[in-house]
Amino acid sequence: MMTDIVRYFRWMLLVALACGIESPSFAQSVGLPAPRLLTTTPMGAKVGSQVEVTISGEHIDDADELTFSDRRITAARKLNAAGQPESNKYVVTISADCPAGIHEARVMTRLGISSSRAFCVGTLDEAVQSKANTTLATAMELKVNSICNATMTQRAVDHYVFEAKKGQRIIVDCATRGIDSKLDAVVIVADAAGRDLLVERRGGVLDFTVPADGKYVIKVHELTFKGGQAYYYRLAVSELPVGAPIVRMPSTKPVNSFSWPPQGLKEQAELAEAEPNNDRTKAQKISLPCDIAGSFFPAADVDVFEFEAKKGDVWWIEVASERFGLPTDPSILVQHVARTGDVEKATDVAEFSDIPSPVKVSSNGYAYDGPPYNAGSADILGKLEIKEDGLHRLQLSDLFGGTRNDPKNVYRLVIRKSAPDFAVVAWAMHMELRNGDRNAVSKPLALRGGATMALEVVAIRRDGFDGDIDLAMEGLPEGVTASGLKIPAGQSRGLMLVTADQNAPRAIGSATFFARSTMNGEAAIRHGHMASHAWPIPDSWGEIPAPRLFADIPVSVSGLEFAPLSLTPPKEVQTVIAGEKLTIPLLHARRSEFSGGTLQLKTMGAGFDRTPQFDVSLTADQSQAVLDTAALKTPPGDYLIAFYGGAVAKYRHRPDLIAIAEVAHKKATEELSAIDAELKKLTEAAKAAATEAKPEADKAVEAATAKQKTAAATVAAAAERVKATTAAAQPNDIVDIVVSEPIKIRVNAPAK
Amino acid sequence: MYFSDHDAPRRLSFRLSRHLLSGVSLFLLISMTAAAAEQSVSFVNQVMPVLTKAGCNVGVCHAKAGGGQKGFQLSLLGFEPQEDFESLTKDGRSRRLFAGAPERSLLLLKGSGQVPHGGGVRLPVNSEGFALLRNWIQQGATFDVATVPKLVSFDVEPSRGTIQRGAEQQLKAIAKYSDGSIRDVTNMALYEANDKAMADVSERGLVKISDIVGNVAVMVRYQSRVSVYSASVPLGAPVENLPSSKNFVDELVFANLKSLGIPPSTLSDDATFLRRVTLDIGGRLPTDEEATAFLASKDEGRRDKVIDNLLQSPDYADFFANKWTALLKNRRDEPSDTTANFAFHAWVRDSFLANKPYDQFVREVLAATGTVIGNPPVAWYKRVKEPKEQIEDVAQLFLGVRMQCAQCHHHPFERWSQDDYYSLVAFFSQVGRKPSGTRGEDLIFHKRGIATATNIKSGVPLKPAALGDAIPEIAADADPRLKLADWMGGKTNPFFAKSLVNRYWKHFFVRGLIEPEDDIRDTNPPTNPALLEALEKHFIASGFDLKELVRVLTQSRAYQLSEVPNQHNIVDRQNYSRYYPRRLQAEVLLDAIDRLAGTQTDFANLPPGTRAVALPDNSYNASSQFLRVFGRPEAESVCECERVQSSSLAQSLHLLNAAELKAKLAAPTGRAERLAKEDKPAEAKVRELYLAAFSREPRPQELKTAIDYLNEPGTAANANYQDLIWALINTKEFLFNH
Repeated sequence: MMTDIVRYFRWMLLVALACGIESPSFAQSVGLPAPRLLTTTPMGAKVGSQVEVTISGEHIDDADELTFSDRRITAARKLNAAGQPESNKYVVTISADCPAGIHEARVMTRLGISSSRAFCVGTLDEAVQSKANTTLATAMELKVNSICNATMTQRAVDHYVFEAKKGQRIIVDCATRGIDSKLDAVVIVADAAGRDLLVERRGGVLDFTVPADGKYVIKVHELTFKGGQAYYYRLAVSELPVGAPIVRMPSTKPVNSFSWPPQGLKEQAELAEAEPNNDRTKAQKISLPCDIAGSFFPAADVDVFEFEAKKGDVWWIEVASERFGLPTDPSILVQHVARTGDVEKATDVAEFSDIPSPVKVSSNGYAYDGPPYNAGSADILGKLEIKEDGLHRLQLSDLFGGTRNDPKNVYRLVIRKSAPDFAVVAWAMHMELRNGDRNAVSKPLALRGGATMALEVVAIRRDGFDGDIDLAMEGLPEGVTASGLKIPAGQSRGLMLVTADQNAPRAIGSATFFARSTMNGEAAIRHGHMASHAWPIPDSWGEIPAPRLFADIPVSVSGLEFAPLSLTPPKEVQTVIAGEKLTIPLLHARRSEFSGGTLQLKTMGAGFDRTPQFDVSLTADQSQAVLDTAALKTPPGDYLIAFYGGAVAKYRHRPDLIAIAEVAHKKATEELSAIDAELKKLTEAAKAAATEAKPEADKAVEAATAKQKTAAATVAAAAERVKATTAAAQPNDIVDIVVSEPIKIRVNAPAK
Repeated sequence: MYFSDHDAPRRLSFRLSRHLLSGVSLFLLISMTAAAAEQSVSFVNQVMPVLTKAGCNVGVCHAKAGGGQKGFQLSLLGFEPQEDFESLTKDGRSRRLFAGAPERSLLLLKGSGQVPHGGGVRLPVNSEGFALLRNWIQQGATFDVATVPKLVSFDVEPSRGTIQRGAEQQLKAIAKYSDGSIRDVTNMALYEANDKAMADVSERGLVKISDIVGNVAVMVRYQSRVSVYSASVPLGAPVENLPSSKNFVDELVFANLKSLGIPPSTLSDDATFLRRVTLDIGGRLPTDEEATAFLASKDEGRRDKVIDNLLQSPDYADFFANKWTALLKNRRDEPSDTTANFAFHAWVRDSFLANKPYDQFVREVLAATGTVIGNPPVAWYKRVKEPKEQIEDVAQLFLGVRMQCAQCHHHPFERWSQDDYYSLVAFFSQVGRKPSGTRGEDLIFHKRGIATATNIKSGVPLKPAALGDAIPEIAADADPRLKLADWMGGKTNPFFAKSLVNRYWKHFFVRGLIEPEDDIRDTNPPTNPALLEALEKHFIASGFDLKELVRVLTQSRAYQLSEVPNQHNIVDRQNYSRYYPRRLQAEVLLDAIDRLAGTQTDFANLPPGTRAVALPDNSYNASSQFLRVFGRPEAESVCECERVQSSSLAQSLHLLNAAELKAKLAAPTGRAERLAKEDKPAEAKVRELYLAAFSREPRPQELKTAIDYLNEPGTAANANYQDLIWALINTKEFLFNH
């Protein structure tokens, strides 16, 4: 039914557009300009090498610095023959001690730090696809033990050719989704005539034993033959000794991997599963606690373990597999086993499957109905309460493994006594702004002066941990503060507000995000992870989001551009007696015109988030919010809250450039006038010149004419620039999220 | 005498108690007492067969789903006597029977046409059936008591035989009952030939054979039982000079031909063989280079080598993926289906490329789990959502058994009951679904629990059972679908291998050993049972190796026979004494035209040069009138019959003057344009065209005609070449695989 409604809405939208019906919302775009680095070409380089990198993205035209999450990768702007920097080109140096793997690449722009793009550092030689290789005849030669960086052409198949000897084991691996590409790659090894021999379409590697000396072809295409800049890949062809394990190309981490491993878990499991352990007669005996590494192999594998346990024992079971980035869905059944002679009676004790997402996850529909991040997992985390003394049997299987024979689908099974703990992950908060556009989910932490950006924070609680979780950030640039709206006891969602002071200078900081709590009377600090989407999603109907974790959390302040509206409450704590109303004055610092007269605000922060929406004026300089602690039944205590809503700013892109362009135009015009005058003078002089002086005078006129031409062109260009900057600075309706600065509230108990 | 009346008093008592409150009952009692002296009529053993024979309980009459006709509902073919009894005696306010004047009962008045009856006269007043029903009503219209003998077996005599063309054979239908009694029910049984062109059967079991030779079966049905009469109709011509047998296929085909006296055609020539086998395995015409090389080859094993070469080529994978993805319903309804469809098509194609054993291929579809991208056969569960639909598709596609009927009633031609149906459904009862990130796509997993499905009629929950075979207890943790796959892949499974080899036999030999290819049942026997059995055994022994099966079929001399009939075998339509020509299917024909015209068909968002046989789903039909007109399926059914192979006026017109075809002929980069510009003798150009179209050299007369046409003055050279290609396309030799 919902789908029908959405379809109807979309249809109505199309009809409205087709009929030319005007509506303010149709003219809106979503999200103030934010710098996003979308591609680097190549997408990686060899350790100890220097490589020229070309970048592309959104709002990065004025970028002047390319940075990496690992300082052992440095970049300088590429200079042309005249010693001037070439736009969007950098010379990147990877030091010899830089670790192989994925690093974050970003550019610093006028608006601040850009979003990240994965940059790979490897140990093989690298090549770059230099021209179209979409036919067998134009196949690009590729050396064995090298990587090619390439971009897929739409409706085409890229061809490569390599030479190999009979018996060689050749591994063909293609990095795509794991390096932020949108490409679902199909990789084919074919004979020299292009006849397919081996095909891989699910992101796996091709393990090819060469049947005869000669040339072989590798074909790469997108599953549905899409292409374009966003569909890039790194194709590795390497030789591997027979029997040696395959090591895949590095990949970014999925969002749900933030909750693994548990604090203090050893890198290697203490025990390995021992096949055959597929049924009760071959159960592997274990004792608790335990830490076992195993594999869902072969197809329909069931690993059975048996252990003794006592009534009243409480154990916590955790399995990781999907969080390793594997396509698995572990499932556990624990049974109590009573044996009388040969007769066995098995009684179910507990079943475990998914780790549910702590917050509702987006259904990827048209309307925004939750964050498009799943902090939960198909893995297992649950409590096992032993109800009877005796033998217990645990069966572990992969619900997705019925027909699949892949030993690479490994797991780690941990059964432990309660070790309460938590893990947190944050992402830029989004809200319904305009159907389908998910602008905020790929936003960098690039703040405008006076802006507050909200991060949604989600916790996975382990082993019954139930305490408050306070949130904080450090390493912020000057003038930037972060306030954590804590995750209350028993809950899983909190918020982090990152605010740039209006006067914060242009700066960048490498921040850390952490969460604090108290466990067993001791303070515990856990580093949090940051997640984001690799690409802007202007139409969630047409694109499945692809979020991932990031290695670092850079925060920047533009210093040159400011938030359209700042809502500033008093700095001091606002006090109220429980059961009474609290009125909070808000100062409006307005730096833009807005579409519409009012801003509808919601309240965020535990204890107050059920406050009804209220309107504030978008033309007034101040307003007030009234919180009714009686209606909210807010218990006494200290709180941190904020207000937020969506406002349509009439955003003007760099109006400052108009004045600069006008000055340049004026200067060029003046110069032209001066040249005109001189030309006139020289022309007259030439006319009057004596015969012997005539050639010299004509020459001077000629030179002045050329100069005049150049100056006129400069004037025309300057006029064009004035026109362009004026046009760009015309107000443009952009809807974005407005978040107030945080407000401290103390609710006191009423006097008795 | 088959029924005694010793239990009449008990029946009367029963009747009395049932109708005690009815004013009518007293009247009935009096009437019945008077009739008690007569022989007691059995409702199940006598009344029901009369209704069935009269056609009252067929699907278009009173057994029509949803209430029968005019409120009078009977079970299909009388499979539910108890329900029919209730319907006759109680429904319609008991107005259908009138014990006071049985012959005035509405049932008889309507059936005999004495009052208007939509179904016409089914029981004439003077018929035996009319009298029997009248007696039954007169006797009180009761249901059988427990002691009434039950039908235990049913046979037709003779069960098989050899019969000459134009001859007749009277069949005798014999019913055996639980009390040991035997009854001749020839006049009450129903008869149906599996090939009506070969045999016509009268209502009283007289078989009249036409002039077509081969094997024909007559299904004989009585009550819930069926029996078969299999007739062999020989031609009786001398069978000499048989080609030497290449493998067991030949031995069994030729043995059958010998027994029927049908001399086979000679072996096809090399050109015909190359074109035929390339079309059948690779779904394409041979290239000019392939044809030239093959025709020049003196290698004794050149035919086998071509087969091996084709089987190794991706063309084989593309062509068979095209066949299977339509049957597996890889259909695009929404743009968001695109990725799933491409992934599933690719998985099927890659499976054939890698020669995945067929049992493993089916296992991976049946028991698919996970996401479409991670495990593309999950896409099947996107299209086939409900367990009932799943088992119906699985049974028809992989077992050759049509179970649809048994959902609502006992299968009319088969032994399958509703319990069999729901026992099969139980295998799919534990399929779990979770929403995925993609709209309309679920994650598929095995949901823990004891698999059961409830028979909607009896309300009894049933555990998994596979078409009459008991399956060992399936634990709650085990995925029942894997057990079904285990059963299918078992060496003794009577359906799985048989269904596939029959399907593939039809692919290469045009007509299945069993027709339709997905309707395997005792009552529809194969035309060559020994051959089907041998193929089945070979396929199982090979480890369900599909390429090996194709190799065995295409290497056989039987496959390589000429399509040209000899003086005798022109009447043969089912014994493979010659190759039966078949029109190229839509995709293959489009590719073949492109090949001959030197053009490409542009398919949306696919790389230029993508062949029609490599299209991932049905969505391209919408934009290709050619594919629609020539019957490319929309992947809505598991039946190969969805592909329309018949001819139509639209097809002829399309080939004659469709704009699409004209554009191909006149393409600036096409073959006609190139030939017109090329500086080489016209003869060489005509030879090139014949090689491209027919994989053979032109005959002298053909060459002369073509060159004369090309040399006609007044027409541009490129137009002449376009005309010549157009003419070649419109030949039967081009349009057919022969």
